[in-house]
Amino acid sequence: MSTRGVAAVLVALLLAPAAGAQAPAPWPSEPPPAPLPARQVNFPPYELRTLANGMRVVSVAHHEQPAVTLRLLVGAGAAEDPAGKTGVADLVAQLLDQGTTSRSASEIADLIDTIGGALGTGSGTDLTSVFAVVMKDSFDVGMDLVSDVVRHPAFSPEEIERQREQAASQLQVNYEDPGYVASVLFDRLVYGVHPYGRARTLQTLGRITRDDLRAFHARHFAPNNVILAIVGDIAAEEAFAAAERVFGSWPRGDVAAWEEEAPPAATRRLVVVDKPDAVQTEIRVGQIAIPRRHDEFLAFDLAVKILGGEGANRLHRVLRSERGLTYGAEADTRALKYAGDFVAQTNTRTETTVETLRLTLQEFGRIQQQPVFRGELGDAKAYLAGSFPLTIETPNDIATTVINAVHYDLPIDEIGTYRERVGAIMPADIQRVARRFIHPERLSIVLVGNASAFTADLREAGFTDFDVIPIAQLDLSSATLRGGVGTP
Amino acid sequence: MRLTPRRLAARVSACGVICGLAALTLAPTEAAVRPPKLQYETFVLDNGLRVILSEDHSTPIVHVSVWYHVGSKNERPGRTGFAHLFEHMMFKGSHNVEPETHTSIIAGVGGRSNAYTTEDETVFWQTLPAQYLPLALWLEADRMATLRIDEAAFVREREVVKEERRLRVENPPYGRLTEILYDHAFTTHPYRHPTIGSMADLEAASIADVRDFYETFYVPENATVTIVGDFDLEQARALATRYFGRVPKAERPVPRDLPEEPAHEAERRAVVEEPWPLPAIVVAYHVTYDGHPDAYPLHIAAKIMFDGDSARIPRELVYERRLALTAVGSGNITEHPNLFYSIAIVQPGQRPEAVERAMIAEFEKMAAEPVLESELERAKNQFARDYIISRESNQDKALHLAHAAVIHNDITTADGEFDIFTNVSTADVQRVARTYFTPENRVVLHVLPRGPGR
Repeated sequence: MSTRGVAAVLVALLLAPAAGAQAPAPWPSEPPPAPLPARQVNFPPYELRTLANGMRVVSVAHHEQPAVTLRLLVGAGAAEDPAGKTGVADLVAQLLDQGTTSRSASEIADLIDTIGGALGTGSGTDLTSVFAVVMKDSFDVGMDLVSDVVRHPAFSPEEIERQREQAASQLQVNYEDPGYVASVLFDRLVYGVHPYGRARTLQTLGRITRDDLRAFHARHFAPNNVILAIVGDIAAEEAFAAAERVFGSWPRGDVAAWEEEAPPAATRRLVVVDKPDAVQTEIRVGQIAIPRRHDEFLAFDLAVKILGGEGANRLHRVLRSERGLTYGAEADTRALKYAGDFVAQTNTRTETTVETLRLTLQEFGRIQQQPVFRGELGDAKAYLAGSFPLTIETPNDIATTVINAVHYDLPIDEIGTYRERVGAIMPADIQRVARRFIHPERLSIVLVGNASAFTADLREAGFTDFDVIPIAQLDLSSATLRGGVGTP
Repeated sequence: MRLTPRRLAARVSACGVICGLAALTLAPTEAAVRPPKLQYETFVLDNGLRVILSEDHSTPIVHVSVWYHVGSKNERPGRTGFAHLFEHMMFKGSHNVEPETHTSIIAGVGGRSNAYTTEDETVFWQTLPAQYLPLALWLEADRMATLRIDEAAFVREREVVKEERRLRVENPPYGRLTEILYDHAFTTHPYRHPTIGSMADLEAASIADVRDFYETFYVPENATVTIVGDFDLEQARALATRYFGRVPKAERPVPRDLPEEPAHEAERRAVVEEPWPLPAIVVAYHVTYDGHPDAYPLHIAAKIMFDGDSARIPRELVYERRLALTAVGSGNITEHPNLFYSIAIVQPGQRPEAVERAMIAEFEKMAAEPVLESELERAKNQFARDYIISRESNQDKALHLAHAAVIHNDITTADGEFDIFTNVSTADVQRVARTYFTPENRVVLHVLPRGPGR
């Protein structure tokens, strides 16, 4: 050892912490560790059968936990509401478990709660759903109950009024919620009077009669318009036998879907809803796009994910990471059965409304005009393809994937080829679909916030053509979007 | 993220009453069905870090969570919201990881990740394809040991958190309801403050606070790493030891001295005005902490009061008397004594006083008369259901294991609680109702719509 070396050791000893503690080793500089060998990913087994009356039944047997989930979809929702009576499908869904021809609402609640089950109903744009969870040893009770509420709802006048009152109060609350208002107004702007754009109001709710509810049920609730998934601790043969027992006698119906009408073409429109006490502005930007069953869906979905989805998300980076303008920014395709749209949504403090809007629009332009970076596409693809095993973790995840394929009339074997189809998408594909389906000059834009604090900025930034509607005057059923004071 | 039943209260405060109602009604049967026990192994590294491993080979994925035993109750006065703000700072890069890349690195291999903060803990998690287990452990260890603390990033992130507060709390109707409740219910214990914090305190936080918080609480002996999924036990044990074993041991113990809430001697009442469309009524009672023997009958009482359309409060207030648009509630039983509360939104045309009386009557009834045997059985069946369906995914299982280990300091409660619940009697329920549902313990809050011209 040289003298210099000895000195260095001495210095090191002097500088070392007392009490014999060893100085911690410096933290290594290193790249991320390599992955372990990849494991085989298979879509778990399921079985899909069609009963003689046309009802489709999916069984996913999974025996880890002693519970069974029942998911039933009827292929009709708010888009089938009669004109001027928006809310029928929703009210039908709310009333399914509020009394049948043989059980009162209280009896149904007592039964499901006593067996420690859960029962829920709901409606969407083109479907109505019933969901139940029961323990394995209450499986038959659960099947009987689901069949009863779907096939024999009573629609008693007393329960109709109770649910109508609930729905009206809920609307009153929702119309003070900036996020809710922004979303329903956006739908209204994008779809116009197309069935996908109609909004419930106190007026439409008030016009609904018991006959409307019964007619909706009679027209759409038929086995050949229903998908049922039986998921969990029950063997496939037992599941199908039970489905046959409770639904086998249900006669097939004539369930012609509504006459498809094309949604309106995209047009530029900016509407500001004024809520003077808002501290944040809710922003929605988007336009009409494509339905779920479309050859370009996968590529388009990926383009929108690069704009604002998991795995890439330019909006999140630009608005949140780089500038702290928002807590969240995302863009989603909402591809339904007969039409679809895509929407970017974010929210920001009142003062930064226009800056946030401008940056959002800039990203719409960029995704449409410039090719995506290969690395960026790679990340988005890696997320979509790589996360596939995460989407089939629980038996309910598996059932949802199968039910969706059936509901949207997708080829069922596409489930197994998902990762390969994602892998085949190239930057040129992204640019092609972005050019075809994204039109930055024809976007629908909604801002809900304290308008007087940012409308001058809007004009200054070049947005000269916009409506400002006080929130109390917003009326989605009117062509001008304005009604009398206090009419949600 | 998914939440266990005991977290419903946090969920209510996070997304508003209406959304909380949806969570309650959508919550997915006989107690005779005993769910399978969770299988796990646990060990502690030399630096004090606890590891929990639980294998599940049904899907080729793995979930990794890191629980730091620090939440908003550990914040010092004038720094409310800091635990959560700090959680955001953990995404600002570390020695080997560039700022803002943790999430995209995980997403780039097909994984999902996020984090959340409660009163009692801060949790970082990722679920990813099984072969990337080393990556998840490496990333978490890197930020546990070598977080980058950068002033500009801190100032920007503070704006993001302020937006989060505006989004979740200030802008939506009823967003501030639980904040108002807790402010009136507590005088001393830090549960008085919401986890999101106040704007003024967020603004007052400094980069020195960030360093201090990191050095105090983000240390191995305050961390529990839970790994659930498709892995080889020996390999996972070795990987966890390799990556977390090199994180230096803390130089000082983690402080645990928090002020206690004194016993309340009289009912507390408040009437406030907010620009919300319908009046809201809250009736709350101070109750005990998670793990106390009384906590189990209180959870059963909460089921009898609130769970399902046939439960007492929704049946009486919403269905029979049509006083309320929604009436929900929760036994928010946490590490330190917290509140058992019921919230109702008053139907137009109904009087807030009538709603308050009806709610209090239900609490008093539970203290005055034993619940029916049939109600107890129903509650136990519902409990068994929650127990079973909340252990479906790897993330669910990790949550139960980590909660038992961190909050109860006894991992065996992750399963042992099932038998405790099964043995609760109607006399136990009445006893805890008499103990806690008293006028002195009560907090009553009326939030009335602010008149026009706001």
